Amino acid sequence: MFTVDQNKLLSCNFNLLHLHFRIDLLNAHSAPLFVCCISDLYLLVFSPPAPLEPHFTDCVSREQETFRCWWSPGIFQNLSSPGDLRVFYLKKESLSSEWKECPEYIHSNRECFFDRNHTAIWITYCMQLRSQNTRYINEDDCFTVENIVRPDPPVSLNWTLLNVSPSGLSYDVVVIWTPPPSADVRVGWMRIEYEVQYREINTTNWEALEVQPYTKQTIYGLHVGKEYEVHIRCKMQGFSKYGDFSDSIFIQVTDIVTEEPLMFILVLVLGIVGVLILIMLIAITQQHRLMMILLPPVPAPKIKGIDSELLKKGKLDDLNFFLNGGGFGGLPPYAPEFYHDEPWVEFIEVEAEDRDGGGKDDSLTSDTQMLLGLTQTGCHHINLGCSNALGFPNNNLGQTSCYDPAVLEANSLMLMGSLLPGQPEEEEEEEKEAASFNDIKRCPTSAESDENKHNPVQPTWINTDFYAQVSNVMPSGGVVLSPGQHVRTQESSSTTEEETRKKENIIETEEKKQTKLLVVNPEGNGYTVENIRSPPPSTSVSPTEYQTVEPSPMSRSHGNQSANIVPDPPRCQIFTPVADYTVVQELDSHRSLILQPPPPPPPPQQSLPSCVPLKVPIGYITPDLLGSLSP
Amino acid sequence: MNNSLTHVMLCSVCTAPVCTNAQVGCHAVSLNNLFDRIIQHSAKMHRVSNDLHQQFELHVLPSRNQVGRGGHICHTSTIMTPNGKENAQRMAREGLTQVILQLLMAWTDPLMNLHHSSTNVSVDMSSMVGELRRGVQRLAEKMHTLGLLTDPDSSVVSPEALMTSHPVPWRLMNLYDILYCFRRDSNKVHNYLRILKCRIVPEHGC
Repeated sequence: MFTVDQNKLLSCNFNLLHLHFRIDLLNAHSAPLFVCCISDLYLLVFSPPAPLEPHFTDCVSREQETFRCWWSPGIFQNLSSPGDLRVFYLKKESLSSEWKECPEYIHSNRECFFDRNHTAIWITYCMQLRSQNTRYINEDDCFTVENIVRPDPPVSLNWTLLNVSPSGLSYDVVVIWTPPPSADVRVGWMRIEYEVQYREINTTNWEALEVQPYTKQTIYGLHVGKEYEVHIRCKMQGFSKYGDFSDSIFIQVTDIVTEEPLMFILVLVLGIVGVLILIMLIAITQQHRLMMILLPPVPAPKIKGIDSELLKKGKLDDLNFFLNGGGFGGLPPYAPEFYHDEPWVEFIEVEAEDRDGGGKDDSLTSDTQMLLGLTQTGCHHINLGCSNALGFPNNNLGQTSCYDPAVLEANSLMLMGSLLPGQPEEEEEEEKEAASFNDIKRCPTSAESDENKHNPVQPTWINTDFYAQVSNVMPSGGVVLSPGQHVRTQESSSTTEEETRKKENIIETEEKKQTKLLVVNPEGNGYTVENIRSPPPSTSVSPTEYQTVEPSPMSRSHGNQSANIVPDPPRCQIFTPVADYTVVQELDSHRSLILQPPPPPPPPQQSLPSCVPLKVPIGYITPDLLGSLSP
Repeated sequence: MNNSLTHVMLCSVCTAPVCTNAQVGCHAVSLNNLFDRIIQHSAKMHRVSNDLHQQFELHVLPSRNQVGRGGHICHTSTIMTPNGKENAQRMAREGLTQVILQLLMAWTDPLMNLHHSSTNVSVDMSSMVGELRRGVQRLAEKMHTLGLLTDPDSSVVSPEALMTSHPVPWRLMNLYDILYCFRRDSNKVHNYLRILKCRIVPEHGC
């Protein structure tokens, strides 16, 4: 095989029977040869040997406007000095052309330079060396300038990173350059094509890319971390001679910081956004449940066994019937059904022994009457301030002053019971304090209840234990309460009748001292405030009491009763039904309330002429007032 | 591709209405565009001629190197052509155009019989030359209408008038010489066209 290296030396290497021949042929440029090597046999076709006489070595044009030729004296070293050999050229422009001598010698380089004036394109030039008496002519030394053009290498090589592979191991670069300055490409006199070659540093094989006429080239598939060397050479379009290679540039990319952090950030942001969207969806779909968890509904006050709707509608009969229907132990079962979801509701166990409907069917009677048990039929198990007990706890002596369950009816009891802060475990204490409202006690025994039955409890002022209405506020700070309060306070003191009477006396004295006292008619005629200064004649009997008393005619009739309310026995004993509340008509000059006259007392009751039935306001006490009434 | 280029070059004029002085509304190919097409065609012609010559040298006459060119006498040697860049740039536009046309005219006939020769010529060089010639003629006419050819006397005359007696009739030339001369002349035409474009169409760097 034969190869031509860069130095334009043709070398042939072949083996022949252990013999190795190597022929280096000089001046392969002008003396081509053909060598055919067949396996181990040799077949050489030698061309004419390299000329030993003076000859031209090369003629080159760089920009197709000038050219130069170099010669060599050959073996004849005696002709090596300058001037021994002269160059002549022939321009075959016309038939009558002649040899001319080289226009410009450069003896130091054995070069003959032809400038623009002497350079003609597309015209055949023949070169000739002449010594003093010899002409060395080689017919092959004729050429045209366009065929000997070898463009200068490009300049200003540079490279930029095009992209990086996703793996970050390889990358692409774009190499850019400018045409050689000597070549007039702007005018179009020369059309140059470029060949880019690159290789990895310290390797021997160059990778050659396709020849193309543009001044940029993309190199694909370079490896990260390796250093590459790139150089470029030019040639004319349509011609085959290449110019010299340009200076090399080095490409190296190390440690590519890819978009991995960006990818991580992007993935993280997307993940957070997705989670937020998920939370929002959950919140929106489960809004109701979340609201129930976060903001539980505020329980509204409810009474065990009492339907608020019925109360609103005012169907007390239905309510009463309903509650009474619960009857014996009916309430407890009711309560859970109604208020099963409200555990805070404390249920007062009410055992109604007497189920007389005496109090039930009296729809005409007021609530107070029912509560007061005017139509008493028996004692209620609830020892809510049984007047018979006179403040004695658990002293159910079956006195007639006990409540009538039928009258009381569980609703009111429960109403009172539930309205109060139930403290069942503190029954004794509250009893002592006449916290009859808070007590949940057993009703008197059957015997007692029987007694009670026999002695119908006059629900006179005892009923007032459930609640007490503040009828007036005294300037001294005292409060004139309804008879219930009076009873309760008296009971709380757990005093006997004497004690109550003492209280009454005290109250009387107090009243005498003060003129602005609420006049209470302990005789059961209720209370009314007409004129504070001048107590009504009826009230003179019961001068003092702050407390309003709701004397019931029944109780009054039994003077031996607690009689707490009755300070003066000879007082009129006609008890008119005590109204629970009254309507304030006006305020007098002394800042006392002028209440509305109560309704007229019931006819069946005896009424002394001297007795002016007091007007008993019908009303009730509110829970807060009730709480304040506790001693 | 040759036919398409011819079609483009010819029908750019035949299908469109006759335009004079680039009238408004007239769909005419711009001069710059016409120049580009012609130069592209010329480059292709030169490339083909070069390939032909190289193939011939490799297969028929391998003993010759590229430098050593014997004195080839071409039939177009009598045509006065500028032999350098300065000469071509100094030449008048009309003269340069005329030279181009003369060259192209001279090579239409010799190449016509090229495919009949023993050489394995796959490309119809004659048609290629003919297309280029017609294109240049159209270019000359366009330049004349645009007033770029300032010399009214040297108008583009009929190609036949440009034919001069050749010292060597092309029929006597061997194939090798024909290929060599054609290659040289195609290079001439290409260079002349580029210089002409640079002078007529204002461009960056001209």
